[in-house]
Amino acid sequence: MGSMNLKEWVKTLTFYELLLGMKATLSHLLKYKPITLQYPHEKKQLPSNYRGMLALLRYDDGTEKCVGCDLCEAACPSRVIRVVSAEVPEEPAKRYSKEYYMDMTRCLFCGLCVKACPVDALGMTQEYEWAVYDKRQLHLNKQQLLAIGDRNFPVREKRLEFQHPNVAYFNVGFKEIPQKDVE
Amino acid sequence: MAQYETILLKNMEQPGYSGSLEDYERAGGYQALRKVLKDMQPDQVIEEVKKSSLRGRGGAGFPTGVKWGFIPKDHPGPKYLCCNADESEPGTFKDRQLMERDPHQMLEGMAITCFAIGAETSYVYIRGEFRLGAKILEKAVQEAKAAGYLGENVLGTGRTINIFVHAGAGAYICGEETALLESLEGKRGQPRFKPPFPATHGLYQKPTVVNNVETMANIPHIMNKGGEWFAGIGSPPKSCGTRIFCLSGHVNRPGNYEVPMGMPFREFIYDVGGGMRSDKPLKAFIPGGASAPFLTPEHLDVKMDFEAVAMAGSMLGSGGVTVMEEGTSMVWAALRLMEFFYHESCGKCTPCREGSSWLTQILQRIWNKQGRQGDLDLLDELCKNIAGRTICAFGEAEVGPIQSTLKYFRHEYEELIREAEATRPQSKEIPVFTH
Amino acid sequence: MPTPSTTTETVTLTIDGQTATVPKGTLVIEAARQVGVMVPHFCYHPKLTPDANCRMCLVEIEKMPRLQTSCSTQATEGMVVKSSSSVQAQEARKMVLDFILANHPLDCPVCDQGGRCDLQDFSHEYTATSSRFQELKRVFPKEYFSPLIETQMNRCVQCMRCVRYCDQIMDVKALAPTGRGTLTEIKAFGAHELDCEFCGGCVQICPVGAITSRLSMYEFRPWMLKRTDSVCGYCGDGCQITFQTKDNALIEINSTQGSGRNNGDLCARGYFGYHVSEHPDRLTLPLIRKGDEFQSVQWEEALELVGQQLLDVKAKYGADAIGGLISGRCTNEDIYVFQKFMRGVVGTNRIDSSARYGHLNGVHALQRVQGTHRWSVSFEDIESADTLLLVGTNITETNPITGLKVKEAVKRRGAKLITIEALNPAIGSISNIVNLAQQHLGVKPTGFSTAILGLLKAVVEQSILDAELQGKAPAYFNAISARLQALSWDAIFAQTGLASDLFTEAAQVFGQGKKVVVLVGPGVLRSEGGFGMTMNLMDLLLITGKLTNPGCGLAPLAEENNDQGAFEMGGTGAVLPGGTSLGDPAVRENLSKAWGRPIPDTPGSSLPQLIEDAQQGKLKALFVVGENPLASLPPSSGIHSALEKLDFLVCQELFLTETAQKAHVVLPACSYAEKDGTFTNTEGHIQSVRTAIDMVGESRPDWEIFSALSVMMNNPMEYGDVKEIGKEIRNLLPGTRTLGPAPLPAQPDSSAIARYVTTDYQRDIAPRYQLPVNDAATDEITLQVSQSLFHSGKFSRKAKGLLQVEATGKIYLHPEEAARRGISDGDMVKVSNSLGEVLTPVGLRERIPQGVATFPEHFDEEIRQLLPYKVDPETQVPYYKLARVHLKKVVGS
Repeated sequence: MGSMNLKEWVKTLTFYELLLGMKATLSHLLKYKPITLQYPHEKKQLPSNYRGMLALLRYDDGTEKCVGCDLCEAACPSRVIRVVSAEVPEEPAKRYSKEYYMDMTRCLFCGLCVKACPVDALGMTQEYEWAVYDKRQLHLNKQQLLAIGDRNFPVREKRLEFQHPNVAYFNVGFKEIPQKDVE
Repeated sequence: MAQYETILLKNMEQPGYSGSLEDYERAGGYQALRKVLKDMQPDQVIEEVKKSSLRGRGGAGFPTGVKWGFIPKDHPGPKYLCCNADESEPGTFKDRQLMERDPHQMLEGMAITCFAIGAETSYVYIRGEFRLGAKILEKAVQEAKAAGYLGENVLGTGRTINIFVHAGAGAYICGEETALLESLEGKRGQPRFKPPFPATHGLYQKPTVVNNVETMANIPHIMNKGGEWFAGIGSPPKSCGTRIFCLSGHVNRPGNYEVPMGMPFREFIYDVGGGMRSDKPLKAFIPGGASAPFLTPEHLDVKMDFEAVAMAGSMLGSGGVTVMEEGTSMVWAALRLMEFFYHESCGKCTPCREGSSWLTQILQRIWNKQGRQGDLDLLDELCKNIAGRTICAFGEAEVGPIQSTLKYFRHEYEELIREAEATRPQSKEIPVFTH
Repeated sequence: MPTPSTTTETVTLTIDGQTATVPKGTLVIEAARQVGVMVPHFCYHPKLTPDANCRMCLVEIEKMPRLQTSCSTQATEGMVVKSSSSVQAQEARKMVLDFILANHPLDCPVCDQGGRCDLQDFSHEYTATSSRFQELKRVFPKEYFSPLIETQMNRCVQCMRCVRYCDQIMDVKALAPTGRGTLTEIKAFGAHELDCEFCGGCVQICPVGAITSRLSMYEFRPWMLKRTDSVCGYCGDGCQITFQTKDNALIEINSTQGSGRNNGDLCARGYFGYHVSEHPDRLTLPLIRKGDEFQSVQWEEALELVGQQLLDVKAKYGADAIGGLISGRCTNEDIYVFQKFMRGVVGTNRIDSSARYGHLNGVHALQRVQGTHRWSVSFEDIESADTLLLVGTNITETNPITGLKVKEAVKRRGAKLITIEALNPAIGSISNIVNLAQQHLGVKPTGFSTAILGLLKAVVEQSILDAELQGKAPAYFNAISARLQALSWDAIFAQTGLASDLFTEAAQVFGQGKKVVVLVGPGVLRSEGGFGMTMNLMDLLLITGKLTNPGCGLAPLAEENNDQGAFEMGGTGAVLPGGTSLGDPAVRENLSKAWGRPIPDTPGSSLPQLIEDAQQGKLKALFVVGENPLASLPPSSGIHSALEKLDFLVCQELFLTETAQKAHVVLPACSYAEKDGTFTNTEGHIQSVRTAIDMVGESRPDWEIFSALSVMMNNPMEYGDVKEIGKEIRNLLPGTRTLGPAPLPAQPDSSAIARYVTTDYQRDIAPRYQLPVNDAATDEITLQVSQSLFHSGKFSRKAKGLLQVEATGKIYLHPEEAARRGISDGDMVKVSNSLGEVLTPVGLRERIPQGVATFPEHFDEEIRQLLPYKVDPETQVPYYKLARVHLKKVVGS
């Protein structure tokens, strides 16, 4: 009983438990290296699959890729997207998005819309600095989204040209289709 | 070459025979019709034809007497007879000769058939391209009408038998009996689904018999000489009588030959047809028109009757024997036939409509040395899924050539594909396929 | 097509292990559906004859050599069918899908059918995601774009449903397959864009996206749509429609197979005419006249003004100085509340509705002879009739869906059709019922009365008479036959151009019928002597002993969707709710007890009377609800001066119509897409109308406005919602408690018939059995202002879809008639008579008889000035659809 008391007493006197608890902290004290980024002055290298701001893309000839199929709208879990599709005025039977809205205040950046897009018209950029004073500025229209795409994706996909003009976009009957060459 | 007694071609083999009514009567024509109208009852005629074991000469080989027997006897309203003269099978050209050279023979047969089944109106549905044949038939009908063999009050018996000649508009499928009826009704020439069969719901939904030209031409002879006589010729009990076979291809003497059923192919090709055109040996032959699967030299001793050819894995069909010598590409032959079937598929049933274009494109690719691994398996599977899945027999017909060449000459396909694989161009060129 | 068998014999078969007992002759695919086994299919449709071309419905049947198509195989006793449990069948289906997808473009994302496409569904169910087809797809170049129907033949699976529908159901035959094999393409006949009835049937029946509606093209995806089942608001057929809306916008109209009185079939008006409710010209706020201008005001101000003015007029000139007019397009509830408002709050019976324009002739004839105000037959009776007589219907254009029932009866069930129509049997871009007729008596629009008398004369001469009734009422029979004998066949021939043997043949066919339905259309009901003609047709049914037989009867066709309801709800002055007479004190007392309000005992008045009184200054205020008399009636009726003399005119409308422009106050009302209620169709079937979109602007349902006005007039008549009104109506009128499945039609009342054949017939038998005076000059032409298939009243002129088919009025002539006059298609002609002259372009139609010209009533702004106006002495129906005119080509046109 006495020896037990002594052992306890020594441990108490030397703050043994405290040291035990601080073991990890103390061991790092010696190999110090700062991990905080001085954000506005320093920026982090983003992983290549970073899911940032959404953008609408164009083909290399400047035409919009979006065919207004509403599948992104259907895929979106938080109802960010609203597409108003219509027939291209000069080209009967061809579909496009007359209006395209994204309410980025609600976006989860889950990327489901990008996955759902059958023509790869949506892309996720590496942009993330979208703090604004007015929330309404995060309600983006088609022109804004295309502009985001233009500045983030300077290299555009080549437009597939072996389809018949009357078959809207998807008359691709080959497995060995010409690869989507990136110029 | 041995001579065989001919029945159908007998008249036209006579020198100077013009096929006119005068010539036909001189050769004993229209005696059968006189006899039938005077002495016999319709049932007796049908019985006689049943006794003769005559089988349809159009392709399916259905017993003619039995077919007539299906016509309801007490049906109120009209019944019809249609003579199927839409002979469009590649490699078959017998009906054309029968119609152009001896039209009265078949008209007499039709008149007797009308009497037997109780029809007053009958039609000859003649292939649109047979302009001459249609003209000759039309003239023959007028002649016969003027002579009292046709029209109202035939031979003074008070019976009405009218024959109308109707030209098709150039569709192979209209040789199929229900498509023929649709076309005759003025509709789009596409097969109907059966049942109901034409025997009860045929032309204008009335009982109808559809018979081939050669079948019709046999009837007067059976009536003249009796069913038993006919049943004694050829290879009884199932394939009786003579048959006109159309020989074409790499032989010395292509043409129409009337021979008794049951002759071996070897005898027909080498004796009757004079053997191969060049010194190259026979590689393959089609025994019964384009829709019959190919046979090989090992089948040369097969007898030319319905059962034996079926046993060998093909069919006697319309009797068009096409012979191919060594050196002929079987892939090319299959492709050529397939292109025909692609062009002629009516487009009603999905498997045949889409399958024919698919098969043609694959074969074209293989032939153009752009075949791929797996094409042959795909061909096999497509063929399996077209045959038996369609309304009419066209589905079976179009895959016959491919399946048989795949069976006997698979190595030729494989060679072309191997070649394609070796020389596959690096640029991803798209094969061009024009309709 | 296995005709619907009448035997009750059943067979029992096993499908995928489940036992089904079905009537003999049922197809395997239908039997499977009954036990919940869905056999995939494209070409099969219950309405059409099986074609068995898609090969998708293959099933394995024991003891059958190969796979069978379940859509063409009839179930037999003890059959064992394997569908999803058969590996072989499943494999075959996979392969069929592979075949179909070989040439099908993968454009689902831009296809309007994507999301409700059979091919998509089956692909998800059966096939792998990638196709083994690695060749070139076939592509059809597109040649013509139709204004309403979009065809994308690359997506077509060649099931031929559209072609068969167009032929078998609609009898239009506008579509046909061309080409062979994979190059089979569905096209319109001829090298032009689709020109047909535009019923939309092909769009509805297409299992894939090959045929879609161009009106709503690319505006939606199917999963965004909200469905609202309702009833079409155009003609009296009362078709079930489903509004498909997206975010409060009308996207398209469907009708579900097997539902409603139309069984899923629609016409151009129903399918493409839905944009009326969303038209930008809709009134959104009440308007008050300030001088020559209208000023938008809030509801309170407008209602206060109307209430005050009505009270003022009442105080000054008495309640009968106020009149009301309501449209037959309003719901039963609206009409009921309106007449209650007028009778109970304003205190006058001077109301009328658009049933007055013609439908009343039919209803009054039914009421007078058989004692019912509804048909004694139903649509089912038309379908199962063995003899049909159509008189002046032009049924394809007036009541297209009733027309389909006639086509079904004739084409599928072998009924005999007798037509007395102002139509030629001719093929045209729309179907012509006369082409199906076994006996066609073609007359001019003025000749219906003579032709009916001719038929009656033939019936009497052939003694196709009911001996029993003849024994009971010999005087009635003798009177009729005496009068008919007085008419000579020569005189009948002179007026109709039809010889006596034609009438005799028709009479024999008519007499042989066991189930006979007589359909009467606007050609009779709306032209001079309409009531007499309808009565004569009742006589025809009565003397041949058919009227009281089950399945037989007279069916007057209503033109507007709720003409029948307008009558039944008491919308015509002298008739109280339930078709009871205002003149009966007991009825009045009952009603006033139920309402807690006195009902005035002054006589009700008709529209012609209201006009006359207004002209004479006896009518000071008029309340017009949804009706546009200025555009409906010709100037010769005096409607212009009548409206000008009014002190106060209130219009309750959707749009600022011609009449509304003359009003002092205009109140904005809701259209049928924005309110709840019920419509009663022409056969007396009451169906629910439901709210599909929000009310446009500040517009309100009509009943709500009447209710608010009653509060303003210190006589509150308050309702919480439309159901309360419905309940009140049902309590009041037990006969209207028939919402729901097909009601039994009303039965003829034998006491009414007895009364008619003993005494009542004498009242007007003399004028009815007289040939009309024919004073036509030789070069005159009979102008008929009639309904077009693509429009309904002036209402549908706001529908952009329908305007794409027909946007202007033309005078239509027979080509030979035109050639004789040196007129060709598109020429301008001067149409003139003593009332005026009008310039109009000419169109040619072979189905119009010679000596006749027709003009669509929907575009009659100018031509109606040529129409003379006459009022029926018995029913007060105004007749103004026919005129005699001269035609002269305008030189230099």
